[in-house]
Amino acid sequence: MITIEHLAKKFDDHQIFSDINLEIQTGEIIGIIGPSGSGKSTLLRCLNLLETPDAGTITIDDQQIVAPHITKAQRLKFRQASTMVFQQFNLFRQKNAWENVAEGLITVKKIPKDEAKARALQELDRVGLAPYANFYPEQLSGGQKQRVAIARSLATDAKLLLLDEPTSALDLELVGEVLQTLKQVVLDHPNFTVILVSHELGFVQEVASRVLFFDDGRIQEAGTPDEVLVHPQHERTKQFLARFATQTVHN
Amino acid sequence: MPKLIDFKLILTNIPDLLQYLPITLGIVLLSMVVGLVLALGIALVRLHKIPVLNQIFTVLVSFVRGTPLLVQLYLSYYGVPIALRYWNYYNHTNFNINHVPAFLFVFVAFAINEAAYNSENIRGALLSVDDGEIEAAETLGMTGWQILRRITIPEALVVALPTLGNQFISLIKGTSLAFVAGVIEMTAEGQIIAGRTFRYFEVYLSLAIIYWALTVITEILIRLIEKRINRFRVAQHLVGTPAPTETPIVGAQVLASKEVRS
Repeated sequence: MITIEHLAKKFDDHQIFSDINLEIQTGEIIGIIGPSGSGKSTLLRCLNLLETPDAGTITIDDQQIVAPHITKAQRLKFRQASTMVFQQFNLFRQKNAWENVAEGLITVKKIPKDEAKARALQELDRVGLAPYANFYPEQLSGGQKQRVAIARSLATDAKLLLLDEPTSALDLELVGEVLQTLKQVVLDHPNFTVILVSHELGFVQEVASRVLFFDDGRIQEAGTPDEVLVHPQHERTKQFLARFATQTVHN
Repeated sequence: MPKLIDFKLILTNIPDLLQYLPITLGIVLLSMVVGLVLALGIALVRLHKIPVLNQIFTVLVSFVRGTPLLVQLYLSYYGVPIALRYWNYYNHTNFNINHVPAFLFVFVAFAINEAAYNSENIRGALLSVDDGEIEAAETLGMTGWQILRRITIPEALVVALPTLGNQFISLIKGTSLAFVAGVIEMTAEGQIIAGRTFRYFEVYLSLAIIYWALTVITEILIRLIEKRINRFRVAQHLVGTPAPTETPIVGAQVLASKEVRS
């Protein structure tokens, strides 16, 4: 279970959010939607401590951090409770696919290299990239890179998966393979908690168990995908969805 | 015709001079290694803007880059003994400056010089590393030291290597100044030989040949290292290439390299 209480974060003078409260049950798949700059990525990054919150507490299962005073050891341990997939993939460009997946196993979990490689190949196979194990990121397409990044995340064995706009940087024709992979991951790991920030509303509707609409640093509306995406109550949500619908038509 | 140049002497000088090659290379390698470690430290301090140290290093780097190496060698040669006497005075010890090998003065001067020049280069290279990869490493739970060692430094090296190579080459040639601090390396030995034979031109020609050869060899080595650390940069022809499923993984890589070449 994840509990977020009174979480606040600002960059310089810009307050991103000042009081986020959220409770997520284990196994939930949360879809966060909302306009750009509304703070949804920042919230995700706070959960992984890539950004240090200014105030508030985050509890993931039995681990709690109270911002902003977080020790190095706390930070390292807390990070291992979750794993993140980035918009820009962020693969290690000097390492090939299996080395990317094995890196965390070797350095963080201290697993012997052979064992780590075997595990990495297994994870790559799961995302359908076993034949590409020796390929460097520059040899892979965007979709393949993101699937390697997903394999790297799965290899950490973290039970909380943070997906930060995983398909936003992809060509339209490559979005499908990544969404398919993510869907398979979700199906294969029913005990995983997933928080997905995405503009792929169709995908969010399909996989999410709960949808949060984020705007102005606040959770404006929350509910089942049907409630939020099909029958929104708040004016802001309606506006956002309407704008999105027209854009989709234009595309 | 008078024998103005003794060509044979140019060649016969070389083995005599090469006896002092280990001294030259010793100065080069030792001050390069220590200089690089110091340079990384300086670069990290300046990147993280650690107070006090940052200011001290900024001044140090500016000073070293703004004064001739020859002057720095003299400063080390005359400065280290003074520092030692102060040390003796305040700590009631009795170290004798005559027991300090001349090599040390030269090494200190060169190492600091290398550190100053390389630190700027390394700082730039570290800045060029993709933040995203560092964040990815952080989310995996890697420690700051692990990230530095396994991600940041290898990435920065690709950017820094050409400049580091040039610096290394100028260091090789810079060692010819070591004689001013009393170290007999190749150039100093050349002067001794010339003083004996009065054949100055021939000796310096021999020296020029040796330094040139050293530089060429170094350039070749640097190119080999460059090739090795850039092996991840492969042409992007493979995007979308379906890999044959029954091919073993190693085979897929071979297939890849073949296609890139064709």
